[in-house]
Amino acid sequence: MTAPFRALVFGPGLAVTGTPAVLAIQGDALTVTPQGADHPLTLSPSTLRLREVGFGRGGIELAWHAPDGDWLVHVLDPDEATRLQGLAQRSGLSGMAALQATVKTRRRRRAVGWTSLAILGLSPLLAVIVLYFNADRIAAWAIQSVPEDTEARFGRSAFEALRGRLSLRDEGPEIDRVRTLGKRLTQGSPHRYQFHVAEDATVNAFALPGGIVVVNTGLLQAMQRPEELAGVLGHEIEHVEQRHSLQALAKDWGWRAAWALIAGEWGGTLAADAATQLGSLKFSRDAERQADAGGFDRLVAAGIDPSGMRDFFRRLAADGGFLSTHPSGAEREQQMDQRMQRLGSRHFEPLAGP
Amino acid sequence: MAMDVIDYEIFGDDIQYVEVELDPGEAAVGEAGAMMMMQDGIEMDTVFGDGSSQSAQGGLLGKLMGAGKRLLTGESLFTTIFHNEASGKRRVAFAAPYPGHIVPISLADIGGTLICQKDSFLCAARGVSLGIAFNRKIGTGLFGGEGFIMQKLEGDGLAFVHAGGTLAVRDLKPGERLRIDTGCVVGFQPSVDFDIQYVGKLKSALFSGEGLFFATLTGPGRVWIQSLPLSRLANRIIKSAPAAGGRSVGEGSLLGGLGGLLDGDND
Repeated sequence: MTAPFRALVFGPGLAVTGTPAVLAIQGDALTVTPQGADHPLTLSPSTLRLREVGFGRGGIELAWHAPDGDWLVHVLDPDEATRLQGLAQRSGLSGMAALQATVKTRRRRRAVGWTSLAILGLSPLLAVIVLYFNADRIAAWAIQSVPEDTEARFGRSAFEALRGRLSLRDEGPEIDRVRTLGKRLTQGSPHRYQFHVAEDATVNAFALPGGIVVVNTGLLQAMQRPEELAGVLGHEIEHVEQRHSLQALAKDWGWRAAWALIAGEWGGTLAADAATQLGSLKFSRDAERQADAGGFDRLVAAGIDPSGMRDFFRRLAADGGFLSTHPSGAEREQQMDQRMQRLGSRHFEPLAGP
Repeated sequence: MAMDVIDYEIFGDDIQYVEVELDPGEAAVGEAGAMMMMQDGIEMDTVFGDGSSQSAQGGLLGKLMGAGKRLLTGESLFTTIFHNEASGKRRVAFAAPYPGHIVPISLADIGGTLICQKDSFLCAARGVSLGIAFNRKIGTGLFGGEGFIMQKLEGDGLAFVHAGGTLAVRDLKPGERLRIDTGCVVGFQPSVDFDIQYVGKLKSALFSGEGLFFATLTGPGRVWIQSLPLSRLANRIIKSAPAAGGRSVGEGSLLGGLGGLLDGDND
């Protein structure tokens, strides 16, 4: 005889809210003694129907049909119910196996449900992670569908926005030099290039989408030979050819959209910002590397000695200047040297001019 | 710990309070902030957790658990125990926080456990433990109107819970099912099965105003239903508040809008 179980019994003539009772299992026989009853009800295990009950489950219901009506016994305390299950299994109570099977199925279904709920809850986070590791690929895919004239229009509007801040010098020997070299480097390009020289002592040059390239006078003064200028132009032209501005823009917008989705707030100023952003966009290090590589090949294809590019970037690195997003000096120089080595001892006609 | 047997009297019709009579040495547990008035000789003691024997046994950890559970059900970390230190009977009153009815439930009569809506507990005899009942059915948790966490009152003393609006008590026979608007459940015996049921027709789901699901309660056992969940009342009040875009009516002025100018700001 094991310890009896605390139970609630529902049946004809008993309170609708249940009568506290004691359930006992003795060998093959089950007895239920409702509180206040003179004698226990003896049940034959074969007639019992078993079911899982209780809020959040965990309880067991034993039901049977008697001549006076339907009877139910609830063992609701989860610990008691587990004990009952073990005991019933040992004494071979019919229906226990079926009950355990349904409990198992239900647990599995619930686990699946909670897991999917958790995944749903975490999906914004997952989306961000996926975005982060695929940002370049997604951006590249997204800008494929942007036609070239749209890109050029972007570039023009950005240039219009910038123009006020730049003092352009559209006449003189400098601009002619830049234009001649640029033309030579951009032969066969689908973009319509425009070259400008800006009065600015900073050693810098930048490219806008669609083919607007601006070179500062500071950069021109830092040149020791025309091949160096060609190197910088080749680099900037590659930014245009590889549509790096659009890529950066797509990434930036993508992040904002993703942020808006997660934070639930749409800035609404996306379009307004775009023009000013284009001017101040920083390219990723990958983009700079690609521009270096493409620029180098472009110089070689145009028959210009690429050592000027190497020399100029080496000097820049030594000065510790230029943009921070550019590849580190050492890395860049190493890559340039490797390219020069692969090129072997090819002869290039030196460029005329200062 | 033996439960304290307390006598009580409920006053008021729709905005009620309950006055509990404590014999010398007896005590009642009240939800923080529910006390309305008390006589001389009643001492107030604030405890961390629910003040029941269960959480006292477990030491600090048990107390923390008890307090954490209370936090989950949206209640204060502390409960207040009111004990009678006088030599005669003394009374302490607890007031309902919004229009509705106070329901006295003798836990001994219903098998010792009551599952109720969180936040509905008002006060109880000392020894009743306040716990949480976690609803593991995802559908019911999401759409049943009561969330995943409900409150569990255990013991064999008296407990008082508060129901919004008018109260309906139903005794369900085994297998008898009651469909209820979500949010209207106050409490039920744990022998009752709480579930949800799709309203059945797409048209009803969209336009009947009852939402996609009913809550269902299936017997055996007793269930307590409220006619007006607080959130519904609050929603109506907000909707008709002129400051929130509602229409100002009922000032009774013949001048209508002009009356508003004349009789000034009624906020």
